[in-house]
Amino acid sequence: MITLPDPKTDVMARRDAVIAGLRAAVADEEGVIADPISLKPYETDGLSAYRQMPLAVALPETTEEVAAIMRFCHANGVRVVPRGAGTSLSGGALPMADAVVVGLMRMNQILDINYPDRCATVQAGVTNIGITNAVSDAGFFYAPDPSSQLACMIGGNVNMNSGGAHCLKYGVTANNLLGLKIVTVDGEILDIGGEHLDAAGYDWLGLLTGSEGQLALVTEITVRILRSPEGARAMLAGFSSNEIAGACVDSIISSGIIPVALEFMDRPAIHACEAFAHAGYPLDAEAMLIIEVEGSVAEQDDLLARLTAICEQHHPISMKVSQSAEESLAIWKGRKGAFGAIGRISPDYLCMDGVIPTSKLPDVLRRIQEMSDSYGLKVANIFHAGDGNLHPLIMFDANDPSSFHRAETFGADILKLCVEVGGCLTGEHGVGVEKRDLMPFQFAEHELEQQRRIKSAFDPDWLLNPSKVFPLRDPLALPRAA
Amino acid sequence: MIPSEAETAIARRVAAAREPLLVQGAGTKSGILRPVQAALVITTTGLTGITLYAPKELIISARAGTPLHEIERPLAEHGQHLIAEPPDLSTLLGTGANLQTLGGVVATNLSGPRRVAWGAMRDHVMGIRAVTGRGEVIHSGGRVLKNVTGLDLCKLLTGSHGTLGIITEITLKVLPAPEAAGTIVIPGLDAGKAVEALSAALGSPYGVSGATWLPAEAAALLPDQIAPGRSLTLIRIEDFTASVLYRTEKLRGELGFPGVEILTDAASRTLWRAVRDVRVLPMADGDGVWRVSVRPSSGSAVLRAVAGASGYLDWGGGLVWFAGPPTGATHRAIETAARSAGGTWTLMRGPDSLRNAVNVVPPEAAPLAAITRRVKGAMDPRGILNPGRIYAGL
Amino acid sequence: MQTNFTEAQLSDPDTAVSNQVLRSCVHCGLCTATCPTFQLLGDELDSPRGRIYLIKDMLETNRPASEEVVLHIDRCLSCLSCMTTCPSGVHYMHLVDHARAYIERTYRRPWPERLIRGVLGWVIPRPGLFRLAVAGARLVGPLARLIPGQSMTSRQLRSMLALAPANVPGPDPNDGPRVHPAIGPRKARVALLAGCAQTVLAPEINAATIRLLTRLGCEVVVAQGAGCCGSLNHHMGQHNSAMTLAWTNIQSWTKEVTNGGLDAVVINASGCGTTVKDYGFMFRTEPAEIREQAERIAGLAVDITELLTRIGYTPTRPASGLTVAYHSACSLQHGQQITKEPKALLRKAGFRVVEPAEGHLCCGSAGTYNMLQPDIAARLRTRKLRNIIKTKPDMVAAGNVGCITQLSGGGLPVVHTVALLDWMAGGPQPDGVPCAA
Repeated sequence: MITLPDPKTDVMARRDAVIAGLRAAVADEEGVIADPISLKPYETDGLSAYRQMPLAVALPETTEEVAAIMRFCHANGVRVVPRGAGTSLSGGALPMADAVVVGLMRMNQILDINYPDRCATVQAGVTNIGITNAVSDAGFFYAPDPSSQLACMIGGNVNMNSGGAHCLKYGVTANNLLGLKIVTVDGEILDIGGEHLDAAGYDWLGLLTGSEGQLALVTEITVRILRSPEGARAMLAGFSSNEIAGACVDSIISSGIIPVALEFMDRPAIHACEAFAHAGYPLDAEAMLIIEVEGSVAEQDDLLARLTAICEQHHPISMKVSQSAEESLAIWKGRKGAFGAIGRISPDYLCMDGVIPTSKLPDVLRRIQEMSDSYGLKVANIFHAGDGNLHPLIMFDANDPSSFHRAETFGADILKLCVEVGGCLTGEHGVGVEKRDLMPFQFAEHELEQQRRIKSAFDPDWLLNPSKVFPLRDPLALPRAA
Repeated sequence: MIPSEAETAIARRVAAAREPLLVQGAGTKSGILRPVQAALVITTTGLTGITLYAPKELIISARAGTPLHEIERPLAEHGQHLIAEPPDLSTLLGTGANLQTLGGVVATNLSGPRRVAWGAMRDHVMGIRAVTGRGEVIHSGGRVLKNVTGLDLCKLLTGSHGTLGIITEITLKVLPAPEAAGTIVIPGLDAGKAVEALSAALGSPYGVSGATWLPAEAAALLPDQIAPGRSLTLIRIEDFTASVLYRTEKLRGELGFPGVEILTDAASRTLWRAVRDVRVLPMADGDGVWRVSVRPSSGSAVLRAVAGASGYLDWGGGLVWFAGPPTGATHRAIETAARSAGGTWTLMRGPDSLRNAVNVVPPEAAPLAAITRRVKGAMDPRGILNPGRIYAGL
Repeated sequence: MQTNFTEAQLSDPDTAVSNQVLRSCVHCGLCTATCPTFQLLGDELDSPRGRIYLIKDMLETNRPASEEVVLHIDRCLSCLSCMTTCPSGVHYMHLVDHARAYIERTYRRPWPERLIRGVLGWVIPRPGLFRLAVAGARLVGPLARLIPGQSMTSRQLRSMLALAPANVPGPDPNDGPRVHPAIGPRKARVALLAGCAQTVLAPEINAATIRLLTRLGCEVVVAQGAGCCGSLNHHMGQHNSAMTLAWTNIQSWTKEVTNGGLDAVVINASGCGTTVKDYGFMFRTEPAEIREQAERIAGLAVDITELLTRIGYTPTRPASGLTVAYHSACSLQHGQQITKEPKALLRKAGFRVVEPAEGHLCCGSAGTYNMLQPDIAARLRTRKLRNIIKTKPDMVAAGNVGCITQLSGGGLPVVHTVALLDWMAGGPQPDGVPCAA
């Protein structure tokens, strides 16, 4: 289980006044939720194993309402937990008993699309795919594509610095932003950046991205939009061992080709996906790669021919090169349904998120298999081979408390292993609550203190999401910015 | 993370320092922004060497004092490159060539034309080690390409001009260097038409990686003269050779301008190196130099709005370089033009009198300025690291 | 997800099923992306995941349904878009059906609500009564504006009156129990669900269906005793009424199976089709003989477009040159997962078929939803019409009478898919549809 900070007794005692203050800040009557039955669905997010009822939920519809909420909460010492679509896999939206969850889902408008300058300004509650959908008719797209892109919101993407399969070539959220409108803890509305690249001064845009709701609330985002390539096509190759597949990845990277996606799946993942999607995956392979390239048809042909030659050097046990968009969709179908596929063979699963140097993959997979045997829990591994981001899916049964506890510990062990081999705790899901207590494995105490000081510079009273990212400290001992 | 001896030595000096410190690598960037009044200098030129190069993992780690060209060489040998194309601004800034360090380039976040498509230096800094103003050695990020563990101090320190910490080691993401380059050259467009053409090019699916407009006097400074007396609109595509041929032809056709040349790989490289190093900015002796970052569609208006200065456009119109009389009047004109277009400016070169008198970067709104002061205080409580470099009094 | 039911609770078959559904949910939230009420209201409580969580809490604690839960479950359209999106195969439909019945049993609604729901549940399934009610609504309709107040009840009453069509054709003799012989050699024998509201509001749909099927060689039986499928009551949680109506149909059609044999039970209102296909599940706890009959009927149930695809459809008229916007009814695309057949048939009939953006979103009809949740239904209607109009069609085709009623009056003729198919295979031009271009 996850320890949360003690609720502030003075806030709990003034609960009714807090709710009244929120109602004054939010115009819509239904925009403040305070009864216990209605609050329950807000007690958790995509990591449903951790649950905590909030004090109240506020659903503002404008930046001004967000600012009014923050002014009130700041003046009254009320903690705030920002929430987007609630799809976080690290418990990023987990409330506290004395906190107000500020949900930005109602701020779902696309404000401006600027094709000549290749950017779009949207509210924080627009979904990731919603941005691409808004510009796709004009031949554009928004590049970072987390698997939850159908539902996850761009405000959440900014706070977590989300990635996706495309990020080897196109970068992560931080590389695709131009501006933010934020509301500070005391209700000031600030514009960071704009429609231009490389603002002068400190990189607040960069610091705010991935700050997991620690520094400010994000209400509007200006993103870069890119012209879609002429086309894209995929291929898959199955190999008889993880080592061989890893060596093939190395060869691909060394060849000068920058694939737009380079996905690795291990045997359990292949089987789970195939059972669900019937995509024609090689069931006798230990490991499978899906590689996607883009360009004109002729360019795709050329790149796929090069990749085929590279794969052949590693003696794949099967290879399939798509000849059309439909065939590419079929190749991706299994991989894209991976999480659901695991959900069908196991009552529950934990989706971990660690990063390792790609050269360490076969070793890490071997160690994970050993852990799987000793914990008695099955695991399937999906790996963004281009950038080292590993997603072990640990299968467990939530109705069996020992099963969940073992899964939690197994997951923590995997993340410690990632750090041990030179990687890090999280590549795209964020620290949240899930990995908070593992932070000392990656950072020395003085380094965590330094980060805490920077957080204090934005939020001296630690009202913004204080249960996340940093291991808990006695509130009286929290660092001040000097 | 275990600090090296050299890092520990720096940390001790900083911890003991009671007076301002001038933080620099080789000092080639000290003419940018405001002058630092400091009696003591801390230099990283002693911290050299590549500590890790893993081509297959697309990362290279090197100590901050390593001259940039010592990093570019092994990369080239492995068919890789620094994605952001950091410039050598020795001509522009009047410093010695080939001296700049990796740390200096990262601390000033300098990128070249390719930035418009492939990101700035700050987008490729995967890991940083630094000595804070408290005299502590910290790290952020690591040696992997995806990392969202904790606050992103890589972004905060990159481009911080040595005011928040002394960067001691950097890990960069690298990518395969493109096999070939080709350049579409459209002569004779005015700035406005040029930006439209560059926008069409950058909005095409052909992977444009350089988009520049040089008025005639700027084009005159290129090593190879292509269309003497005329402006040049330059569009670069980098890829495998066959792709470059296909894409440049296709794009030229789609843009539909007459008399358009396509430069070969060799000619392209020469040209873009000159653009990268800002050797195409017409400058008189003693000129001040500014750069303005705006939305591309405002670039030509910004250029036009500053009568007394010469300049050119990069990043499809989103980066405006100016050279002109190093006076408050020039600065004010540039400031006004940038502000009206919602963009930012940076004073890159000028006499100390100018540097001390003006806002070398846009002043921040009061609430943000308060945060800036507190963050500076969090990293450098005694205010000893390059005080006054970016903001007066900070 | 983790669930917390006692053994005693799990011995109830409905709770056991709901437990399975809840366990299959991993709370990932992808369903929120395609839920119409979440799009409009931006509240987790009005999303499938939130509703699942509310239902879970309600069932686990054995509490009577509370006002808050009822508010959000009532707002669910049962469009089942979430089921199409869910990667984990959560059977949301069965869960929300159970919840609705649970609400009906444990929650005492305010009397105006009880009255309205009671009247709807009693009148609409009975065509004779419904015809009278519609006639009455037409008389009183102009006075709708005079109904005072902004309470939910006032708004519901106004919307009900507004929905009464201007003209209601008299009863169609085809809708009575009859056998319609095949024209030419008989290739199949099918039972047609004549339905309830459809026979009053749009009898031409059954007429077109019968014409087309008989022409294609089907003997079409409108079975004695068969009537409303029970959807309406089912979706209002009126479980017993629903089961009674369903059992009547099962018995009537089983008789036809026994006496003449049936190749299919064909349904041209996709909302009904989804329910009839679920009869096996609805009767799963009944004694074997009853359950088996229900399963057999459910197994015979097909949408008209499935049947036409199976037996083969060929147009006899030249292509009309008209553009049809195909509106994919929720019950058809999500409930029955039928997406390709209607468009393929319309294209085969020579129409140019276009599809509106956001095709996965409900038009707001959703059975009685447009009466009980008028504001949300109106917003969804506006959004759907806007998307349809953008495709610049000559008309709209849909496979469900509810959608047809909902989208009519929006500036475009709205007809049933089968009416267009019948037209192009020799039948009459449907009312309101432009002539061939």
